[in-house]
Amino acid sequence: MNDTVISHYKTRLEEYQPIVGNNIIDELKLLGSHLAGRKVQNINSTFSGGGVAEILARIVPLLQQLGVDATWDVIQGDDAFFNVTKKFHNALHGRDESITTDDLDVFMETSRRNNESMALDADIFYIHDPQPIMLIERKKSLGGKWIWRCHVDVSHPDKVVWKFLRKYVVGYDATVFSSPEFSQQLPSRQYMISPSIDPLSDKNREISQSVIQSVLDKYGLDNGKPMVVQISRFDYLKDPLGVIQAFRMVRKGIDCQLVLAGGTATDDPESTQVLEEVRENAGNDPDIKILPIPPGSDLEINALQRAATVVFQKSLKEGFGLTISEALWKSKPVVATAVGGIPQQVRNKVTGLLCHSVDGAAYALKQLLSNPDYAAWLGKNGHEHVKQNFLITRHVKEYLLLFLAVENPSEIINL
Amino acid sequence: MIEWFQQNWLLVVVPLALFLAFCIIGLWARRVLYFNLDKHLTRSGWGGRDVLIQTTRGPFFFWFVLLGLYVAIAFSSIQDDHKALIIKIIASVFIISIIWLLIILSERLLSIYLSEYKSVERTAKHVMTALRSTLIIIGLLILLDYWGWPLTPLILLIAVVMLVVIIASRDAILNIFSGFEISASRLVKEGDFIKIGSGDAGYVTDMGWRNLIVRTPDQHTIVIPNSKLVRETIVNYGRPLKKAEEPFHFYTRLSLKELTGLKATNLIALVNILKAAPDSIVYYHTHHFLEEFQYLTPEPANDFALWIGDALDNPVLSEKLANIDTFEFTSLGSLKAALISVIEQYMAENPDIRFTQAERDFHFIKVVNVIAPTSYFASDLREFVEVLRKITLDSLYYHVFESRLRLQRRSNDFSVWIRDSFEEDDLAEKIDNLVPYTTTLEGLRSVIIQLIEKRIK
Repeated sequence: MNDTVISHYKTRLEEYQPIVGNNIIDELKLLGSHLAGRKVQNINSTFSGGGVAEILARIVPLLQQLGVDATWDVIQGDDAFFNVTKKFHNALHGRDESITTDDLDVFMETSRRNNESMALDADIFYIHDPQPIMLIERKKSLGGKWIWRCHVDVSHPDKVVWKFLRKYVVGYDATVFSSPEFSQQLPSRQYMISPSIDPLSDKNREISQSVIQSVLDKYGLDNGKPMVVQISRFDYLKDPLGVIQAFRMVRKGIDCQLVLAGGTATDDPESTQVLEEVRENAGNDPDIKILPIPPGSDLEINALQRAATVVFQKSLKEGFGLTISEALWKSKPVVATAVGGIPQQVRNKVTGLLCHSVDGAAYALKQLLSNPDYAAWLGKNGHEHVKQNFLITRHVKEYLLLFLAVENPSEIINL
Repeated sequence: MIEWFQQNWLLVVVPLALFLAFCIIGLWARRVLYFNLDKHLTRSGWGGRDVLIQTTRGPFFFWFVLLGLYVAIAFSSIQDDHKALIIKIIASVFIISIIWLLIILSERLLSIYLSEYKSVERTAKHVMTALRSTLIIIGLLILLDYWGWPLTPLILLIAVVMLVVIIASRDAILNIFSGFEISASRLVKEGDFIKIGSGDAGYVTDMGWRNLIVRTPDQHTIVIPNSKLVRETIVNYGRPLKKAEEPFHFYTRLSLKELTGLKATNLIALVNILKAAPDSIVYYHTHHFLEEFQYLTPEPANDFALWIGDALDNPVLSEKLANIDTFEFTSLGSLKAALISVIEQYMAENPDIRFTQAERDFHFIKVVNVIAPTSYFASDLREFVEVLRKITLDSLYYHVFESRLRLQRRSNDFSVWIRDSFEEDDLAEKIDNLVPYTTTLEGLRSVIIQLIEKRIK
């Protein structure tokens, strides 16, 4: 287990008390007391980078504080293995990928090596995503309860890849998905646990106006002009060109500026291409700022979201879209497309506005920029919605409930 | 000897006479003074009258005896250096007697004064010890000074020691005096139910010389330093209300969503799946919004109505389903039947709608409920209200919704307990009649608290 990663994020449970209240923390402790000493081994493919690693780095220490003997380990793999799992990831998202027999052989061979070399010892094995899925083959010899946590949008998976993975999925005692749309016909039980944001992380914690202003100054943004912000990596699926189109429709009548901020990945040539296209499309428009932000710029993202008048998330396809919860937590009015996990976070006209097209996005944006009171009401609701449903404390609670549920098959568990 | 006496009889008789005269004056003065003092104190009704009179009567006469001795010695023919020594001894005895009297008198008066406050008995003992020590030190210092001993280093030493003691025990001293203040003001007594500024509430089980001990409804013991207590805003609800034979034990219910893998793309599929669906599915889709949208008033309609309105774009059927009053049903089976009946009737009237493809699928979800006892108990309505303020909405939800519909108890747990334990049928009925589906859980909590508070005021 990587203690460095864990200790970096080691937030005390009590620090969440002022945000969620004493009684929520007490409830977590109550659940934790019924799982005290239970060994839970989390396994994924990396200690750093990506949402899964970020979630585990924050949740594992909290589980430990609640008395659960939670650990976190990663499997080993070479570039060839991770290239195959990247293909799996894309295919599960519904993209066309040619998966060859060689690819499957690479996956199985690496998985077998991990099966042989990996030290597994727990009451509950919590396996995250497809990369370590074949560890289930050790269930027979090790016993215990096995859970497969799928963080990927599998609402329309590539049939070949899903058929291949399903052989292993059915061996698990339970599967966990992030959204009802992702559920499958499986013989084992399936649970739904949504992702969460950490209100104490650099990306979400309260920051001073001076920090916000320094970020605005750094990127030459005008604090006096309404600011529309979309935070996402430069990817066709995030539809940055559609955002620019919608923004231009609105600017004809309302003076405002657009910020498209996000990362590019060096190992993803597509993102660089998208960034170039976006820059080309924006041209020399002084009201459109394209900001490629390096990984780890959480405080800057926080500042941009807090400075925003409206936050956009015009994705064409989305897993869950936690940037929306981040914006809602900051009480920002949001315009987002009704895809993936977004409708769970944005209830149309209650916690934000949903759209289905560029025109719809432009119309929603106009409504929010023209009606600040309405926008503020949506933002206030959004904050409450996230507080009740998408904070890390809820996530921890559901992990604890999941551990209890896999050990007690009944629909009603009396402790 | 006789010859010496005949020549110097005045040297003996005069001091003796003076001594006797002072004794007689002392007896007379004591009689007059104590007669008037007794009369005055009796009229005033002061409780320390007996102690003051009984304690000081003896010493009063004794001081006249000492005065007589002093005057007698002064007029005697004893050598001057001997005379001075004897006078010093007499003065020292006088000082000791004064200190002794002050100690006895203060202890007795304090005992009388504090006997009314049982709670500070231990405090009083500590104060008496401190007072006795202080008076002895003062007396010692006066005597030493009187006998010409150098006092400056000793006073410095005592001052330093005192300072260290005071600094080290400043909190304790503050607590002790605050304890007196609390007891004297009689604002709080053992057995009272109090609520302090921090929000903690419970019954006062002990009032110590430094702390107040409060037992909270979640069985915790809170130790509040007296000095903190005098600075806090305290609400004292007074003595306990009628106790229930069986205290109310608060439970909580935490739920995990379980995906069934079942989905409907049109109305006919929705009905078919719903017909075979277990109660837990019906329950989830008609209740989960209460928890997920706790901040909304009015809260959204059930999932079936929302899906038919949004995804099938059929506002008429959506409204019909939204208008089904969940509160009217005492079982999920009957609620399910009502939902199916409305949809089937609509499909019969509008057969074309049956296979209309929805914009998005309806995913059937159910919940796994984990029910756990909390540490909160209430044995009377005051405790009950205070606990109600603190429990999670999950706990409130369990006792109001789960028990009524899912567990088919026909009433919420609160009303049952109030009715059974206190025969408060009117209050129980008022809580029972609250429609929990048209308000937020926080709103519901607030209304129940108001109803009970109004009753116990």
